[in-house]
Amino acid sequence: MGEWFERVLDAVDIETFFACKDEKEGRVLAMQLMKGFGLKDADIVFIEHEGPGARVRARGYIHRAGDRYGWLEGGTDDE
Amino acid sequence: MSKKAKVLLAPLDPVHDIGLKIIKRSLDEAGYQTILLPPDYSSEEILKVAMEEKVRAILVSRTLGYGVAELLARFVDMAEAVGIRENVKLAIGGMSIRPELAQELGYDAGFGPGTKPEEVIAFLENRKYEPEIRGAGKIKRDITKGFDYAYSNKNIEKMLDHIVTSIVGWGQNKTTPGIKRAEVRKGLLELPQGKDRTHLLQEYLRWCDAKVKEFYLEGTVLPKTRLLSKEELRKLERYVEETNKRMTLQVIQHSREKPVVFIQYGTGCPFMDIAHIKAGEAWGADGVVHFDPSWGARTEGFLEGYITHEEDGSIITPENLMGIKSSLSPHTIWQVRAHRGLNTPETVLLAGAMGADLTKINIAYGSLGGGTDPARLTMDAMQAIRYAVEYGLPFDVVTNEELCGVPAYKAFAGMLITAHLGLRLGGRPILQPLFCYSPEVMVSGDMDDNYVDFNAAKIMALRSIIRAPIWPGAPIGFLTQTEDRVQSSLSTALHGALAASLGVEAISIASSDEAYSGGPIAVPSRIDTLKALQEAFRFFGLSSIAPTENAQVWAERLEKGIEEVLETVAERGDFVAALYEGLLGSVAEGAYPGRSGRKTVMML
Repeated sequence: MGEWFERVLDAVDIETFFACKDEKEGRVLAMQLMKGFGLKDADIVFIEHEGPGARVRARGYIHRAGDRYGWLEGGTDDE
Repeated sequence: MSKKAKVLLAPLDPVHDIGLKIIKRSLDEAGYQTILLPPDYSSEEILKVAMEEKVRAILVSRTLGYGVAELLARFVDMAEAVGIRENVKLAIGGMSIRPELAQELGYDAGFGPGTKPEEVIAFLENRKYEPEIRGAGKIKRDITKGFDYAYSNKNIEKMLDHIVTSIVGWGQNKTTPGIKRAEVRKGLLELPQGKDRTHLLQEYLRWCDAKVKEFYLEGTVLPKTRLLSKEELRKLERYVEETNKRMTLQVIQHSREKPVVFIQYGTGCPFMDIAHIKAGEAWGADGVVHFDPSWGARTEGFLEGYITHEEDGSIITPENLMGIKSSLSPHTIWQVRAHRGLNTPETVLLAGAMGADLTKINIAYGSLGGGTDPARLTMDAMQAIRYAVEYGLPFDVVTNEELCGVPAYKAFAGMLITAHLGLRLGGRPILQPLFCYSPEVMVSGDMDDNYVDFNAAKIMALRSIIRAPIWPGAPIGFLTQTEDRVQSSLSTALHGALAASLGVEAISIASSDEAYSGGPIAVPSRIDTLKALQEAFRFFGLSSIAPTENAQVWAERLEKGIEEVLETVAERGDFVAALYEGLLGSVAEGAYPGRSGRKTVMML
């Protein structure tokens, strides 16, 4: 996992609008997008479809509660 | 299922049962026998009641959380174990519940947030839910309907009469290249299909800038523009057709019918404009406003064809306008602006011919803040108003010179002059005060406490003068929004709520990208403010925002200031000279008489 991910406090939210025919297609596209960005622990927080497409907020968790947090690494008490 | 059948509503939840109470009311009204259990019953207790009461359906509600999916799945298993699963319909509802999840857990149906009771009834009755098409009853409103333009302030009316008479007199026996082109364009539009247009085109090009002539004669496209291909046009047509088949229109307003809500488009590309417009329509925009590029306003003559542009502002051509018009929902109000620039008469002509509903004209703003020579724009605006009358287009009179630093009372004086000129020529003007954090109030401190009083004072002042439609813009909340989309959306929503509370006819709203200048507006940011506004209208309903006593004091001050300015302009006896001399906004205040088109007014 790249440092940029390690420094994410908990999650990456991606908000966008897909031109798509229905909510189901919007969900699939959103999850594919998250996967494409390397966000495996992904879910859809919100999706709303109207005629032209779906506005969607997809979330990829980097650190869930109880994980070892990347953003705590890399420093010492002496620094 | 018979309507006498028993339905058990069970909150499998320690606390929440509101959703079930709402559903119960509808089921009772529909003739079902309902049993609503209190929260915090165990699965065993719920099933015991179901068996004792011989219910035909169990509607379970539960908010998803850790371990809840297992609990819900276990409930289905237990229903099977006690032998009622086959004869009893099971459904689950609550936040985060989706039909697919319900199916996975073994339920017959799942109902998420926003579920309408009719959906549940349809499920109980084994019918497919046919939602009411939202926006089906949406109507295209005439903002000017019902206004008689009667003046309460007779002194102001008298001075406006005097000023407008002098403007009309000044304009006699004069013309401009803009007026000439519009006349030729009218001939081109009326030319029967297949007729030779060479002669008319030559006449048109006589009054155009060199770069426009090069476009027509040599096919030289302007920088950062290109012609859209037939293949692209065909694909766009298909996109619009498919999208229109799926379109439903949200309604933004809640208890009040007003204000009508406009969004602005002008991405540069007519295709992207159409995509943004469709999203705007779907999420409830009542009207859309066409923004053209600023260079177009400084260029003598219009191009032709389907042309895209890489920068802000969508190029006005007959084809671009026609393409946009053909994509609009029949409910959508369409405005094409003609408030500044050298193509003002032709813009209104094209807008009218292409089926626009509204246009925008203001001599004072266009010549003091829009860069066009005052004499030129005065002539052009008069002809533009005549076209607006011919095509039945009401027009708003915007006061954007406030953003340059001109105080509101001076901008309002200019607005009232153009509006009165419009009335004299048979038009239906709409007053457009800004709801903004203007340089004037930044200096005066009149908005240090709140954004309510000064904006309310503007509406109160105008209503004290004339009974005319008012459409604050453009956009509302200008200069209050930041790049933070939450702040930006909330600010727009609150200004919209104020506008609703004041009972104005319409508003123009920004996207949540209003303050971002690094690139084009993205479509989610357009939906942000529509959703925020919808929520604000829902929140306030018929209640009102109460301004402090400052609003009345400032309204009176504004009206007095307007009277004083009009008195000075009337005394000057020459409106165009008054513009040059700063009576409606001076150089010191940030208003600069435009130079574009200077010395182009010709005697007939």
